[in-house]
Amino acid sequence: MSRVSVPCHVKGTVALQVGDVRTSQGRPGVLVIDVTFPSVAPFELQEIMFKNYYTAFLSIRVRQHTSTHTPAKWVTCLRDYCLMPDPHSEEGAQEYVSLFKHQMLCDMARVLELRLILRQPSPLWLSFTVEELQIYQQGPKSPSMTFPKWLSHPVPCEQPAPLIEGLPDPNRVSSEVQQMWALTEMIRASHTSTRIGRFDVDGCYDLNLLSYT
Amino acid sequence: MAAVEKRRPAVAPAASFTDSGRPAVSRTAAPADSEEDFLRQVGVTEMLRAALLKVLEARPEEPIAFLAHYFENMGLRSPANGGAGEPPGQLLLQQQRLGRALWHLRLAHHSQRTAFNNNVSVAYECLSASGRKKKPGLDGRTYSELLKRICRDGEAPEEVVAPLLHKIQCRDHEAVPLDVFRAGMLTCFVLLEFVARASALYRLLEDPALAVADRRVGQAVLDTLEGALQASDGAPVPARYLEAGSRLGPDSLALAMDRALVARRPSSPMTREEFLEKAAALFIAKVKPVA
Repeated sequence: MSRVSVPCHVKGTVALQVGDVRTSQGRPGVLVIDVTFPSVAPFELQEIMFKNYYTAFLSIRVRQHTSTHTPAKWVTCLRDYCLMPDPHSEEGAQEYVSLFKHQMLCDMARVLELRLILRQPSPLWLSFTVEELQIYQQGPKSPSMTFPKWLSHPVPCEQPAPLIEGLPDPNRVSSEVQQMWALTEMIRASHTSTRIGRFDVDGCYDLNLLSYT
Repeated sequence: MAAVEKRRPAVAPAASFTDSGRPAVSRTAAPADSEEDFLRQVGVTEMLRAALLKVLEARPEEPIAFLAHYFENMGLRSPANGGAGEPPGQLLLQQQRLGRALWHLRLAHHSQRTAFNNNVSVAYECLSASGRKKKPGLDGRTYSELLKRICRDGEAPEEVVAPLLHKIQCRDHEAVPLDVFRAGMLTCFVLLEFVARASALYRLLEDPALAVADRRVGQAVLDTLEGALQASDGAPVPARYLEAGSRLGPDSLALAMDRALVARRPSSPMTREEFLEKAAALFIAKVKPVA
């Protein structure tokens, strides 16, 4: 299935923390990343791909276009998806992750905006985030690839044997016909850019092209 | 041998080889010192070198016949040969020029592209350096005449080549540029080869007993060729060639011929002329007309 990357704008991470960020000693355990699509109409999301960096759990909320009158609502489409089985150890900490439409909790049509909520309960890691975020929508419906006939041509050993008595030798016929084809192809390819300078069309002249002198 | 020649009073044969552009060497004024000098002075060195170059370029199968033709043509080139003092008629001159141009054109096969192009240029100059009063240049009449001559000498039936002539010949009053001339000549020669190929193909197809080909088989082969030519007109070049190769392979041709014979249609003969005409039409359809 083909997919097409959607140009997106990834906003800076926002840390959620109780108390004053500057004075508090504890590091935040929740980050929020907003993703907007300024140059795209509402689209059907196919896949989200990113490289994890020490995020243990991921939730995603989506804002979908419903109708022109009702304001769009935020819906949770992925809840606490586990990226690191043990938040205190390295496993899964720096892996590439792909999340598909069918893994989501809701329908992913007409997407306007995404919000990624990242959690890391372990205090072992100094920071955590996701990198190289890419959003894909479905490409043109399974392109109908029709293969040229010569690609699926039977190989020489599967050929049907000469069938009828008295048929001209196909090998020699083929060789002559191929020569004729080559000569024609040669003439088709050769062309001159020089024009002889005729101004008439089908034997008639355009009055505007004739001078009166 | 040469020394004997030297002492003889001036006679025609050597002089007739000198080109009109070069002043004839007066042998009494500057007696040649050695044999080599003599040969250079009368122009034999230059002439033989040119002849050898032509042989190398054309690589003829029979060099002697080729050289004989070559020197015969050189003889024609000098106007002194035309008659006893009388200037040859305009028509005769024209015929001579055509003959010379044709000879140049036939020196090299069209697949030796450089040599062929050189010869086309020489023929073009031959033809365009016409009468003294006329401006140099090649008019449509001479060009069309030359095309007709080539086709007539090429043993292709008249009705086969007529559509091509109609497509590429120019009107009598038009000035023909070199490029158009070259394209026309090339097309003409290639068509002649194409017709020769088609003729060989017809011989393969014809029934040895009846000496005619079955219409169904002939038409099937031509249809296959047409299909290959038109198959993927818009496709990029390698794909097109591969497709044509597959369609014109022995197995697919055998299938096409077999299918044609199996089909329950009455068998009727197809004459050689008809086959050639139909084949040539496929070729001529791809020729770009003079615009």
